Amino acid sequence: MADTLESAARREAAPAASPQGPTARGRQGGRARPALAPGTSGVRRFGRFLLIPAVLGWLLIGVIPLLFIAANSFFESTLGKPLRRWAGLENYQEALGDPDAVAAIVRTAAYAVGVTAASVALGLILALAVHSAWRRPSALRAALLLPLFIPPVVVGVLFKQVFNPEGGLLAVLAKAVGLPAPGVLSSTDTALLGIAAADVWEWTPLVFLLVLAALLALDSSVLEAARLDGARGLSLFRGVLWPAIAAAVAAAALIRLVLAFKVFDLVSVMTSGGPGQSTTVASYLIHRVALREFDLGRASVLTLALAIVVTLVTAPLLALNARANRLEEEPA
Amino acid sequence: MSAPTALPVREASVPAARPGPAAQAGRTPGGPSVVVRSPRRHAGSRAGFRPSVLGRVLSIVGLVGALVPPLYLVSVSLMGRDETVAGVLVPASPRWENYATVLGDSELPLAVGVSVLVAVLAALISLAGGLAAAWSIARLGLLSGRGVGVLLSPWLLPPVVAVVPLFLLLRLSGLLNTIPGLVLVYALVNLPVVLWLLLSFVAKVPSELIEAARLDGAGEWRILRSVGLPLLAPALVAVGLIVGLQNYHEFLLATFLTQGPESRTAPVVLSLFYGDRIPHVGRIAAAGVITALPPVLAALLLQRRLVSGLTHGASR
Repeated sequence: MADTLESAARREAAPAASPQGPTARGRQGGRARPALAPGTSGVRRFGRFLLIPAVLGWLLIGVIPLLFIAANSFFESTLGKPLRRWAGLENYQEALGDPDAVAAIVRTAAYAVGVTAASVALGLILALAVHSAWRRPSALRAALLLPLFIPPVVVGVLFKQVFNPEGGLLAVLAKAVGLPAPGVLSSTDTALLGIAAADVWEWTPLVFLLVLAALLALDSSVLEAARLDGARGLSLFRGVLWPAIAAAVAAAALIRLVLAFKVFDLVSVMTSGGPGQSTTVASYLIHRVALREFDLGRASVLTLALAIVVTLVTAPLLALNARANRLEEEPA
Repeated sequence: MSAPTALPVREASVPAARPGPAAQAGRTPGGPSVVVRSPRRHAGSRAGFRPSVLGRVLSIVGLVGALVPPLYLVSVSLMGRDETVAGVLVPASPRWENYATVLGDSELPLAVGVSVLVAVLAALISLAGGLAAAWSIARLGLLSGRGVGVLLSPWLLPPVVAVVPLFLLLRLSGLLNTIPGLVLVYALVNLPVVLWLLLSFVAKVPSELIEAARLDGAGEWRILRSVGLPLLAPALVAVGLIVGLQNYHEFLLATFLTQGPESRTAPVVLSLFYGDRIPHVGRIAAAGVITALPPVLAALLLQRRLVSGLTHGASR
């Protein structure tokens, strides 16, 4: 079976910004793969023509922005006048010398890893639970997927009210058991946890869905045979279930991590980065520096720093996906 | 996956980039449809299945966790100002006027229309570009596995990376604060997602059909249109829906690139409700419910398509 994510992930393990153009690679790849289409020049020309929109998009969304940002990081730049004056490393000194900015990037990485771990754990448990408890889980699955379809801004509105110490859902529940209403989003200790809770709520169903699909694809006779052999609980999980779902878990974790780094909407709606700086994640900080303080040079340095951190934190999962894929492809 | 090729092993075994033996042999012989049937097919045959009690308990806990917050939002959307601070869970008498106010006196209805329009148009463009690229890669042998990875790599980075350059590009081209501008940006941002999800589906199109069409003298363009497109229609619906939902949900780019009332999307307008001096939580919740309605309805109506697109596109 074509195993898109793992293979895509593996391909992405290659350095993202490659110096060689896609056309050069295309020619090379095509020569090595003659089994598919008759390698006539007409077919290749048509194939190249079909790639135009994707390459154009890659340039406009990927390459040009990165080059532009890299250039601006060395200039005094504003939104109105980018590249106004050569500034050397001033932006770097200013941005990376600012403890708040460094803290925001570290916070983002910690947030992304934490949220990913929580989503994967909960999604995995839920998938195993549903798989073990229902013969035909499709109706239940439909209901459990609901959070995925609600726009993140609405999720932010919803959880802002859930955490509202004056009459929110959590306050009502706390009162019912005799506890004081917690001001989750108004304390620097817990505000980021509140946002993480909304994030985990929204995206855990995706992990659940991918893992459940892998569990359901498992041949029921294998499962039955293992049960007859006395495999129960943990031994069943380790011997039969985990090998069947490991690749799906790795794939889901990778997607989840990438999505977690993109968090912006929840912060914007729920806390606006506060109280203090406690929920200022990198995207929100860059947004503020570029569009409220109009300092494009400093925003560019922060963006590059974020890009590097995302790449570093994502790399182990990309490698893990690549390995899971390789293992699976080896003939049994 | 052990097809002998001239490529280094690492790239030779990338299955999605070309239909390997498993991809070809693994398809159901029953019909040429590319969409694999929903996994419930397997579930139906789980003979001797004994439900686990712990599993049931945990599933129900999960169900409560998934459903209670949205139900709470609906409940809050029917509360007056006094009730939202009083800590009631269900309003004594539903205040439908919250909905009337939001629908009558705010930009939200227009913004929902803009959002739906932008989401659909951008998804269609992404589908066209993504299908073309996926066909080129998986059927015509263009691009190595690494080349595909490079093409997909922009999706890994947070959109905030592209936001300022896109802002300036749109301003240069006069498309800032316009619907076409936002459509174009969304279409390009999600094109890699479409390409990625479609690759496995395109690779599953039976080669025999394509060879037969070629032998009959059909041109490459004709093969894509008359053989590929009909077979891939279900996958295109599934992937289009996923991307359409992404477009509708998007907030960061929308808030940057559409400042005027005539091109604001629903999430942007919803976020502006907090600008009021004393925000009316009931009304904001009503606006949230209205904003969430189109994607939730679309997803529920096309639930099975969506699930198959996600599970077979994103993993297997």
